[in-house]
Amino acid sequence: MARNSKALFGLRHVTLIVISFLMLVPFYWVIKTALTNENIYAYPPSLLPRDPHLFNFVDVWYLIPFPRYLANSIIVSSIAVAGNVVFNAMAAYALTRPFPGRRAVLALFLSCMLIPFQATIIPAYLITAKLGLLNTYLGLAFPMLSTIVCIFVFKAAFEAVPRSLIDAARLDGLREWRIIVRVLLPLSKPAIATNVILSFIWSWNSFLWPLLITRNPDMQTLPLGLARFLSYMEDTTGALYAFAVMVLMPSILVFLMAQKEFIRGLTSGATKG
Amino acid sequence: MTLRSWITSRWVIVPGGMLVFTLAWLAYVSNHNGGLIEGRVVNAAGQPVAGASVLLFERGFITHQEKARTTSNAAGEFRFVNNPSHSVQLEATAPGLGRTERRVVRLWFAAQDTRLAEPLRFPALK
Repeated sequence: MARNSKALFGLRHVTLIVISFLMLVPFYWVIKTALTNENIYAYPPSLLPRDPHLFNFVDVWYLIPFPRYLANSIIVSSIAVAGNVVFNAMAAYALTRPFPGRRAVLALFLSCMLIPFQATIIPAYLITAKLGLLNTYLGLAFPMLSTIVCIFVFKAAFEAVPRSLIDAARLDGLREWRIIVRVLLPLSKPAIATNVILSFIWSWNSFLWPLLITRNPDMQTLPLGLARFLSYMEDTTGALYAFAVMVLMPSILVFLMAQKEFIRGLTSGATKG
Repeated sequence: MTLRSWITSRWVIVPGGMLVFTLAWLAYVSNHNGGLIEGRVVNAAGQPVAGASVLLFERGFITHQEKARTTSNAAGEFRFVNNPSHSVQLEATAPGLGRTERRVVRLWFAAQDTRLAEPLRFPALK
C-alpha cells in the first residue's frame, strides 16, 4: 500500500515536471531565437541554439530609442505601483469599516469588475483630457492608479488582522491613517507584494491606453516601442525576439523577487487554519 | 526590521547589484568609446597592401550606408576614428586586386574601440 502511494506520488511529480517543461517551451523558443537569428518557421527546427550571440540585444538598444522607452515604462509603472499601494489600502480600510451603503458599494465594485476597460476607455480619455493629463506620465498611469481586484486583496488582508489590535491602536490615540500605516500595512506584506506585482505587470504591459494618450514618440512606453519595432523589422528576426525578452525581463524579475509573498497574498483568504 | 536584514533583503541586493553592474559597465564604456577601428589589409599571399581604400559602412535599420573611407599605409594598416555606430561593415579595394569581402564588425556598444583580429584579405588573382 505504502509502495503504491509512493509510486503514485512519483508519477504525479514526473507529470507535473513534464507539464512545467512544456509550459516553458515558448519562453525557451523566444530566448533561443533572440540569441541566434533563426527563422522560427525553419523546418526541421533545431532544438539547441546554433552559434548563439548577444548582438541582437545590442541592436535593439541602438536601433530604436530603447533607453527612452525603458525610462518611460519604469516611471509610469512606478507611479501606478505607488498609487495602487496607497489608494487601494485606503479604499480597502474604508470597506472594512461599517458605514451606510457599504454592501451597495461592495456590490458596485464587484459589478464594475465585469466591465472591460475597452468599454470605459472613452470616458477615461475625456476625463484625462479635461484634467490636462494627456501625454504626461501621470496621465499614462492614471487608469491604473487603483484597481478593484487589488482593493479586495487589501480588504481580505485587513480583515484578517485581529479587531483588538485596531481597537488598541485607536485607544492609544492613533488616527485612522496612522492605523493603516503603523498597524495594518506592516501586517499585510503579502497583500502589498500582490499589489506591487499585479499593478506593475498590468501597467508594464499596457498597450491600448498609452497608444491613445501619447502624442509624441518621446512619451511612448515599451509595448508601443515593440509595436513600432515590429512595423520596421521582419517578424522572424532575432532582434524582434531580443526586444520581446528585454520587455519581459523586468516584470519577470519583479515577480521572482516577490513571488513568495504574492502566492501567500493570493492564498491567504483561500485556506483556513 | 533591522538594518542588517534590510540590507540583505533581495529587494536591496537585486536592484543594488544591477546598479553596481550598470555603473561598472558605464565606466568601462566611457573609457573605450573613442570610435577607433583598426585593422590590416593583405593580399591573397598574406602580404600587406599599401594604398588600398578601406570603406566603412554603417548599419541603418535595414541597409548599410557608406560613412567613411581611409587608405592603408605601407604596412597595410588602416584606422578609422570617430565611428559612432555599434555595427559596421568594412571593405577594401585596390587597383589590380579587386575588392575584399565585406567584413561585418559587431560591437558591444556604440563607438567601441576595436582592432580586427583577422585582416581584410584580397582574393587570389585569376
